[in-house]
This record gives sequence, structure tokens and C-alpha cells, in this order.
Amino acid sequence: MTDRDHFLARRLNRRGFMRMAGMTTVGAVVLAACKKAENVGGTATGTAAHLPISEEPGKLRVFDWSGYGNGDYYPDKERLGLWQQYADETGDTPEFTLFANDDAAYTKAATGSVKFDVVHPCGYKYKDWVDLGAVQPWDTSLIPNFPALNPKLEQLGIVNGKQYFIPLDWGFIAPIVNLDHVDVKEETFGILFDDRYEGKISWVDTSNMMYIAGLFLGVADPFNMTDEELTEVRDFLISKKHLVKFLWNQSYDFWLSFKKEEVWIGYAWPDTVGYADAAGMNYLYMEPKEGRVSWVCGMGLAADTPNYRHGHAYVDSWASTKAAEFLLGWYYYGHTNSKADLSVVSSGVVAALGLDDPTVLDPPRTIPESYIPRRDLYQQYWSEVLAS
Amino acid sequence: MTTADVTASTTSWKRRERRTTAGLLSAPMLWLALFFVAPVVYVAAYSIGAITLFPTDTGVISFDDWNHFLRGGSVYMGLFWKSIRISLTVSVVVVLLAYPIAYFLALCVRRMKYVLLLVVIVPFLTSFLLRVLAWKVILGDRGVVNSLLFSLHIRSPDDPVSWLLYSQFAVMLVLAYVWVPFVALPIFASLDNLDRSLLEASSDLGADRWRTFWRVTLPLSAPGVVAAFVFVFVPTIGEFVTPLLVGGPSGYLYGNAIQDLFTRGTDWQSGSVLAMFLLIVVAGLMALFGRFVQVRSVATD
Repeated sequence: MTDRDHFLARRLNRRGFMRMAGMTTVGAVVLAACKKAENVGGTATGTAAHLPISEEPGKLRVFDWSGYGNGDYYPDKERLGLWQQYADETGDTPEFTLFANDDAAYTKAATGSVKFDVVHPCGYKYKDWVDLGAVQPWDTSLIPNFPALNPKLEQLGIVNGKQYFIPLDWGFIAPIVNLDHVDVKEETFGILFDDRYEGKISWVDTSNMMYIAGLFLGVADPFNMTDEELTEVRDFLISKKHLVKFLWNQSYDFWLSFKKEEVWIGYAWPDTVGYADAAGMNYLYMEPKEGRVSWVCGMGLAADTPNYRHGHAYVDSWASTKAAEFLLGWYYYGHTNSKADLSVVSSGVVAALGLDDPTVLDPPRTIPESYIPRRDLYQQYWSEVLAS
Repeated sequence: MTTADVTASTTSWKRRERRTTAGLLSAPMLWLALFFVAPVVYVAAYSIGAITLFPTDTGVISFDDWNHFLRGGSVYMGLFWKSIRISLTVSVVVVLLAYPIAYFLALCVRRMKYVLLLVVIVPFLTSFLLRVLAWKVILGDRGVVNSLLFSLHIRSPDDPVSWLLYSQFAVMLVLAYVWVPFVALPIFASLDNLDRSLLEASSDLGADRWRTFWRVTLPLSAPGVVAAFVFVFVPTIGEFVTPLLVGGPSGYLYGNAIQDLFTRGTDWQSGSVLAMFLLIVVAGLMALFGRFVQVRSVATD
């Protein structure tokens, strides 16, 4: 069944329901929802079929993380760093809709409750977005900065043989510890489950904890665990949950708690490393024996966008060296544009993240966060960890 | 005027009244139908798979999720009872705290009564989020309470009282703080409209103040107390913001599970089951409490 068939079937089901219910009020809601759902679908068409940029409506609708251009974190600098080039070239000002995490973003798109031109999910969700029919392949010839991007990392944006995503920002997932309080015998994800530090540990509040625990327990493929492995991981996390002081949703919340020494150990992204380094803390960003997990997020272009060329101009702005240096300097995130000047961050951060090491992202030292085919099941088990 | 004329006039008047009533009711009924009945029907239909939203939805009607939930196979039933327990504790504590406030305002203060009442409800004028987040500053390991304990040398900075925040205690404390002013209002209304001559009669018959309170004041204010209890108990069962901000892993409640199921994946069917179950329980409780307290009695006491 094609994506379009899915949507047609969905519409028929809803109409059937409406008849059953016999309520015009319900019908109004259902039909409105159907209309939204249709906006998600669509198919890719060639560049030649698209209008010139001057005839596109503009007001590019960007569906992105908070602080990635909407000004939540650095009101002026986000614009200057990430989309000033776009504004200069097109004269357009993008409009932002934000999401808290990848799953929430996908859910909104799948239910048709958000309209967007470009979206910014992370690698393990790429295939889901393509399967949903919500995105179309990029024409990389319309992105002048594309050749400057790391070709190995750009491979991660290829789904079904097409460049559906332009990977841009990347970072690590690894434990960070406060060395003033934590005795590190071995660098391992096991520190997140260490009984010696009850009440001083913070986990992230997402189902990513499932594969982190899976890595620690040595399952064959933490991104595609069997039912037995998922059960084992869930039970393990439930047994260790009492060690956790809080589960963080915003990385900055974790950093504040880490800085105040409310927690000494945590699941951390590179921004915490940057803040800890700048604050002069005695910290260690671990290179766990299981391997650091790396995440790479990238831009996708909506299948039904009326702003095809605006979308390309926007992603080109994000692919620039200026954007790379902004992400590195202000968020301590890596960028697939390898021409970024590393001096925008301290040598301590460069060393802790291995930014000057071309092999830092290579396995087994680093494990790329992969597509999780059973993501919903991971989420279900994680919900059970939380609810237990 | 003949009897026939009177009958015709009465019929005409009744017809006009029916039309007026229907006209006045149509807007709120439409509002309810659009924004309450329709969404509830929609969620109920989704909970049994009658509607498809995601590509992974099968569209086959099934009660499996309901069976799994109701027959104890789901961890969420345990979570539901945990939420009931916490909500019940909070409700009782809040009513116990609010009653003396309402009593003082209604029966002890003569002037400035309504100014003081305004002072009690002033916290409602500030952001709910701000009020909850303020507790993180107060209860944290380096917060106001622990800092005081450090300065008094009761605890050392290396050994703060860590259960103050990110715990069930924190959830109950913050919920109680948030709801006390709101709960004081219906109790105040009951007490303020109390017939003072009954209190005087009790006193004239020889009852002391305690006896008067137990035998006269409390029974007469019971509708307000029950209404206050319902006002806090019902919404806190499904509360999710406060547990999210100050609850930590042990403060995770039923409302958080519903929110997570709808925002973190595509298992909206389970989320719909949990939401519908909560709605049914709350409706049942409302009906139950409705037998003990009439809204009119609270409003006009």
C-alpha cells in the first residue's frame, strides 16, 4: 500500500466512523483532521517542475528544536549564526514551530497537527519520516555548501538510495562525572547504574535509556533488541531506578543540577561538557568501553512544501561554515561542515570531545545512533520503567 | 377573559418560554458538543481501534488494550492507584489546612474580611508554572531549606536532605500549596452564610465553643467541605505538570503516563484507554459526591 493509499484509507475509516456516530460535530473534527493529515503526504517531483524562488510564498515554516534559530537561547546570535545568510539571499524571515524531542515531532507530523516546510529530526528517525511520506529528497545541486559537508556523515542522510536528509549537527551521548566526588575505576556506561552513587545520578527522560542499558548489558544489537532482551533491559532499569535523583528533559536543566552538585553523574550531551569546562569544573566526559554513542541530526524537506527553493536556501545557510562555528561555539556541538574553526571553543572542550581527531566518530570507539525499527516497543518498555 | 382565553395565553407563554430556553441553551450546548462530547467520543473510538491515525494503526476494532489494562496485566493500573493514594492524601491535607483559614475569615474577622480573602487567593494571580518552579529553589539540595539546615549546623553541605525535592513528598507539598487557596473558597462560602442565630442558640443551650463547632458549625458547613474536597481530588488524579517538575522518578503519576503515551510515540490507543478510564472514574466520583452535596446548597448556604 502506498503512502497515498494509507491516507485515503484513513479518510474512509473516519468517514465510516462519522456515519456510525451520526454526529455532525464529530464529523467536523474528523474532516478537519483528515485535511491536516493529507498535508503530510505527497510525492517528490523534479527540481525543474518547481517555481522560481520569487514566485514561492516564502515565510518558510521551520519545524525544529528550541534554540535552533527561533531565538529561545541566544535571541540575536541564533539568527546571525544559522539563518542570516538565508535572510540575505531570500529576504524571507522563517517561522518556527518547536518540538521537544524526535518522537513528539514525528507524532505531530503523523497526525497532521503541524504544517512545515523543513524539519530537523535525528538519524534514528529518518526512515520513519520517509516511510510516513512526509519528506522528499533534496536536490543537492541547489545547496552550494553541500560539497563542504563530511561525505561520510552525509551518507547517513540517504534513505532508499536518496538524499532525504542533510545531516548537519552531531554530538555524543556519554556519561559525565564530577571527579571531585566520583571515583572512576573504569570508563563505562555502568557508572549510570552504580549503587555507590544513589541519589546522585541523572538519566535522560527518553527511551534512549533502553539502548544505553542494552549497551552496558552487552546485548547483540542495542538498537534492535529482541523481546527477551527488552524485558531484561526494562527489569534492569526498574531495579536501578531508585539510584536516580531526576530524569532530565532539557540538557540545560541537567547542567544546572550538575553545576550545583545536586547530581555528580549523568547522561550528557556535549553542551554540558562545554559549560563544565567554562565553569572550571573537575569533570570527565567518559569514553565508555562500550563506545560513546554519536547522534547526527539533519534537515528534511516536506513532501508538499510550496517553498521548495526557500527550503534549499535555508539548509544551505545551515550548512555554512558560519553556522558550524555558531553550533560549536555556543552549543559545543559538532557540525558536518569540517571547515569550522575549532578555536571558537577552548582546548579543553576540543580534547574532551576529540574534535581535532578525524577518527573520533569511527566505530568501535563511537557507535552511531541507528534507526530503531521497534521504537514504539522501546517506548512502551520505557513507559513501564517510569510507571513501575 | 374566558377560560379558553386563559388556556390559549398560557400555552402561548409556555411556547415562548420553550423557544427562549432553547435559544439560550443552544450556544452552550453547541460548545459542549464541539469541545467536549466530540473529543470524548473520538478518544473513546480510538481506544478501541475504530479510528486510524498512524500508518501502524490497523483499523480493526479490538478491546485488547482495555482487557490488558483492566485485568491487571498493565503497570498503569498500579500507577492509577498510586495517583489515587497521593490525590486522596493531598485532598485531605488541603481541606484540613483550608478549613481554619476559611473559619477565621468567615467567623472571626469582622472588617476587612474580603480584603483578607483576596490576600489568600493572591497566589492565583501569579503564573502556576512560576509558583511550582519556585519550590525547586526552596527544596533543592542547595535550596532555602537545606541552606538553613547548613547554617544551623543541623546538616552538613555534603549531606543535604535530598528527599525534599524529586520525591512524592515534593509532589504532595506543592499540590497542597497550589490548591489551599482554591479550596478555602467553598468552605468560606458555607461558613460565611451560616445562620449565626443557630450558634447563639447552641451557646444559650449551654454548649461550649468546641461542642458548638462539632454539633452545629461543622455539620452545616459539610456541603462546602465536601465540595472543596471534590474540587481538589478530581483534578489532582490526572495532574502531570507538578510531578513532571518536582516529582523525579518516584513522583511519576498516572497523568504523566497519559501525557507520555500521547507525546512520545504512536501508542495513542493505550493513551486513549488510560484517558477514558480516568474520565469514567472521575464521572463516577462526581456522581457519587453529587449524592452528598448539592451545588445549590454550597452556592446559597
